[in-house]
Amino acid sequence: MTQSDDPYGLQQLAALTTKAAAMGGPGKIDKQHAKGRMTVRERIEHLLDPGSFDEQGLLVHSDIPEAKEKTPADGKVCGYGAINRRTVFVSGDDVTVMAGAGGRKGVEKLMHHMTLAGKRGYPCIHLGDGGGARLPDIMGSVGMMSMTYPIKGPCRDREFPFITAIMGECYGGPTWEAAVSDIIIQVKGAIMAVAGPSILEVATNEHSTKEELGGWELHARDTGQVDLFAEDDADCLGLIQRVLEYFPNHAGEMPPVSPCSDPSDKRLDKIFNVVPSNPRRGYDMHQVIRMISDPDSLLELKPFFDPSLITCLARLDGHVVGFLANNPMMTAGAMGPGACEKATGFICLCDSFHIPLIFLHDTPGFLVGKAAEERKMPLKIMTFIEALHKSTVPRISVIIRKSYGMAHCNMSGGNMLSDTMLAWPTADISFMDPDVAVNVAFGRRLEGMDDGTGEMRRAMREELSRGCGPWEAAGANLIDKIIHPADTRKEIIQALGRARGASGEQGRSRRLLAGWPRMF
Amino acid sequence: MSKEIVAPMPGKIIEILVNKGDELEEYQTVVILEAMKMENQISCEHAGRVKEIKVNIGDAVSTRQVLVVLE
Repeated sequence: MTQSDDPYGLQQLAALTTKAAAMGGPGKIDKQHAKGRMTVRERIEHLLDPGSFDEQGLLVHSDIPEAKEKTPADGKVCGYGAINRRTVFVSGDDVTVMAGAGGRKGVEKLMHHMTLAGKRGYPCIHLGDGGGARLPDIMGSVGMMSMTYPIKGPCRDREFPFITAIMGECYGGPTWEAAVSDIIIQVKGAIMAVAGPSILEVATNEHSTKEELGGWELHARDTGQVDLFAEDDADCLGLIQRVLEYFPNHAGEMPPVSPCSDPSDKRLDKIFNVVPSNPRRGYDMHQVIRMISDPDSLLELKPFFDPSLITCLARLDGHVVGFLANNPMMTAGAMGPGACEKATGFICLCDSFHIPLIFLHDTPGFLVGKAAEERKMPLKIMTFIEALHKSTVPRISVIIRKSYGMAHCNMSGGNMLSDTMLAWPTADISFMDPDVAVNVAFGRRLEGMDDGTGEMRRAMREELSRGCGPWEAAGANLIDKIIHPADTRKEIIQALGRARGASGEQGRSRRLLAGWPRMF
Repeated sequence: MSKEIVAPMPGKIIEILVNKGDELEEYQTVVILEAMKMENQISCEHAGRVKEIKVNIGDAVSTRQVLVVLE
């Protein structure tokens, strides 16, 4: 009903807008700042190109009458904006309104708009900060059954990139969104878990701290559920912008290409500084990747989670690629269950967004032993293999040094249908380390026959060491090219260019992994 | 601008390949760190001159411990 002094309702509009934009009020805002954190509106402002935020659903409020006046935007802020001129959909939890917990309307708003955005092909970004669902909204049968947070809406099937940032204490709610996102970023000090200490103390009498339940170090080293870690809010928002540069707006497009200053045939003169000729010496495989790739293009995902394998995005001659590379510096490059899990997830991610895969081998095989078996090693290894089989992006495989056992296959090795199979002259490929093989193959025989000089054992070891170089495999058409290490960048770029075709279209993925889970 | 070369994991220093004042080129190996039965070469990421060597042969080092400081 319009008043005579506000016939077009403009004052009403202004008043409601101001009230909603004020979030939970100055007291709560100050509290957030005191923690060294931004408010949700500040974060969105900081993330997007200036002035580009087009908010949707500002005037939504709780459907519980008593809470109507206390729930500006019903505690969730969302809308469209631009990041480096690319349109994105962004949403965030407003922790100054009922601790960022989700009310029925607020959640509905987010899901509705995100579904629309996804359908039209826009990347979606969620800034998580708050507990899951609001009590009392979700209590009781009507509450519980009507607030399927955030499962309403079609399965995403990686149709568009979904990035979630954990920027505060997140229990349920934003944690669920993170768990189905393509990339998760956690600010150090923020928490991602199902349930917090206050629930546990009552429910099970467990006394664990927030950090123990969902702190960044837990996720970095033990769970592997988070891809990237930020020092603070600003760092986190910068990372979101950076991540976006590697992905297309949606799965119908190829990833964006960037100009590259380094020539595609650049010789890697310092490669012998990094990779030693002594096979007993380890080195940092990151340096090799850095040398091969375009300058400053590396973005490693899950850097602390089973670091025996490196999974990182990078660019080669301007084109986005995904590297899977063994790191001999970590457990000698022997891959454990964590490496398999992160490799599988990484393959699904890259394959779904048309990002070619480059494998760099230097591994003595999979980690064996009780700890690995207890973590379902056979399953982890074979799920990794299945993912490889279903991938349809270009796959280039380069054997740097060791490549032993089943791990050789998992690194897209022989007969794994890589587009191009390359090897350095230092490649050392076999089923098992000869010393171990002697025990397995001849152990019993040696027991009776050994004269104490070890001569027999040495001779048998000699026998089993033959033919581990790449020469025989090249001769048998199992390796396409043995390359000079300094030509590695050139050779990979050439092979990729061929697999991709002049327009890039031949590198388009059939996306058979798009429906696979996010993590394993 | 001080550049620190740190240990990526715990281990024992078994070789030190540079001296104070040496001009290093990109990716030059500075120390050998023994860990997990592997001898790992630790190199500098960028060229620079060695300002200080903070460890001795035989030292046990921990993750992120500073090994060499560049100018």
